[in-house]
Amino acid sequence: MAVAGFLVFLGACGLLWSRNMVYGVIFLAAEGLALSMMVWSTEPFSLTMAAIVAATLIIKVGLIPGSMYRVVSRWPTEYRQDQPLPFWAYPVAAGLLLAVGHVIQLLAPSNVIMHRTLFFYGLASIHLGLLMIVSRRHMLSQVAALVGIENGLVVLAASVAGSLPTFMEFGMLVDLLVAAAILVWMSHRIHRQLKTTDVVALRRLRG
Amino acid sequence: MDIQYGIGPLIVIILALVGWGVKWKNSSMAIAVWVWLVLAVNGFMSWGAIIRGNWPDILLFAVNLIAASSALDGVWFLKEHPTIPVWRYQVWWALFWASLMAIVMAQNLMISWIAIEFSTLASGALVVEMAHRRALEAAWKYIVIASVGLALALIGIIFVYAGLRFQGLGWDTLNYGNLARNAHSIPGIVRAVATIFIVSGIGTKVGLVPFHTWLPDAHSEAPSPVSGLLSGVLLGLSLVTIDRVVRAMPQPSHTLLSGPHLLILFGILSVSVGSLALLVQRDIKRLLAYSSIEQVGIMAIGFGIGTPLAREAALLQLLFHAVIKSTLFYLSGHLSSAYHTKRLDKITAIAAKHKKLAITWALGILALAGLPPLGLAYSEWMMLEAFWDVHATGLVIFLAVALAITFAALSFHLLGGLWGGLELSEGHTADTEETTRDARHGTRAMGGEQP
Repeated sequence: MAVAGFLVFLGACGLLWSRNMVYGVIFLAAEGLALSMMVWSTEPFSLTMAAIVAATLIIKVGLIPGSMYRVVSRWPTEYRQDQPLPFWAYPVAAGLLLAVGHVIQLLAPSNVIMHRTLFFYGLASIHLGLLMIVSRRHMLSQVAALVGIENGLVVLAASVAGSLPTFMEFGMLVDLLVAAAILVWMSHRIHRQLKTTDVVALRRLRG
Repeated sequence: MDIQYGIGPLIVIILALVGWGVKWKNSSMAIAVWVWLVLAVNGFMSWGAIIRGNWPDILLFAVNLIAASSALDGVWFLKEHPTIPVWRYQVWWALFWASLMAIVMAQNLMISWIAIEFSTLASGALVVEMAHRRALEAAWKYIVIASVGLALALIGIIFVYAGLRFQGLGWDTLNYGNLARNAHSIPGIVRAVATIFIVSGIGTKVGLVPFHTWLPDAHSEAPSPVSGLLSGVLLGLSLVTIDRVVRAMPQPSHTLLSGPHLLILFGILSVSVGSLALLVQRDIKRLLAYSSIEQVGIMAIGFGIGTPLAREAALLQLLFHAVIKSTLFYLSGHLSSAYHTKRLDKITAIAAKHKKLAITWALGILALAGLPPLGLAYSEWMMLEAFWDVHATGLVIFLAVALAITFAALSFHLLGGLWGGLELSEGHTADTEETTRDARHGTRAMGGEQP
């Protein structure tokens, strides 16, 4: 379980570090594979568990990375690269990772955390995903960050609750699928209409 | 309240697909008739509960009422915007309506979360259907910001579930009834952290300041019938969801940043930003969107105070606001189409050019401004009374000042819209075009256009 959590954390680091959208798609698929392994290894075999593993594989390894790759592969090369990560993002990332340790200390007396290492990987992946949304400028980076946050949530849930109720797992998966599908469709549409993939171009409306 | 209400949106989807398949031109009207039929059945079946003042039934009826008016306005709207693909609009609209009903009927925190998230996605897709640059930008911000907010809320929900995992109830752990009975078993620190995440996360969806940045963009760029549902219904229902969580998991009054504290804090910020922003708006739909921020702020303070009178005032405010704001959004859409612009300084002389629209627009804005005896004046007075009862004198003064600013700002925009530029409308069309220097000078002189 901890190994799968570690792989998700590595995937989150890779997503944040990677400028090439194709690599980002690969990191997302790897995270999906690690999550499927985690569910497979932690729960006794049942039809429900097999269904969750299958749905995770289909959605997080197949459909979401596949649809992103399909869109990216149609774009000219200059639209497949994100801008370099701004300098301020590095110290902020370090600070966010240290903050996870503080949260663990804070929650330790309540005994709510069942698996501290896994909790670290889960919350750290969520933090890195949030940082990615504010620091990365490519539209698909933001989509990947949202998927990464959801992956981190699954690891976090495993660390504090063992496993989630089936309906909750499926609800989160379907929600993620619909959200990613709409955002990928929008990325394609924005690129077609505005000839950009940079979210900085979306600044006409000012809150 | 049963799953039978799911039939309503399902039939809309079927009608939309059939309309697409056989090139049926009147599918929008058929859908509107169907939604009104659902409203009538809903009203007939729940009449007793509504009369008794059962709030879930009242809210469900309000959702169906606004949905019915939205469907009817959609017939007009789709004729005004022939480039929008009708069947896609109708399918997303049906999913949006279904998610709104699900939020009201949810008895489980996770179902509420899923319904709110799906309402974001369906309404976001409807904003995309407007297809122009501003709409795409607004939809992108809306979905990304709201999804991040809801992800934070999900962290809180996972903590709540973890705090009660010893019960072994599985899915039922997150039932509001179970939470209310067993919240004391959740460790204090976990309850506090979960409450902060849930209130802030779903608060993003409510548009509470400082999580509101997506709201004016999305509500102003959405199709007008959808803006009515977004602003009138969705914001209020998301706030009611927060209230259900906060009441189910009470915290000691000395807890820093407890649920009621957060609601009052975000409410005060929202009322301040919303009412002041009204003064400087130049876009007719953004004006209404900022007014929504102010209104949900008032409701949030009411729910935060939490006395029976304050809660009743907040729920009444929600109802009146839903009816008034949705009507105003529909009207703003038609005014924008009539004047080919959303700029307030261009939408002038409504009283002379569009008399029927002018009367309804004036009544709506005056109601929104809180003019007695129109509805919001009553609920706002109740709110002030509720604050006075708990000796929150500061809040009474704050709300009174904010309401005065709101009244002044809305009256200013109303007068400019009804009669601004009236002189110029006789003889030439300079009031809608800034093509000549004389026109600019003339309109400014009438207060119809700001430099």
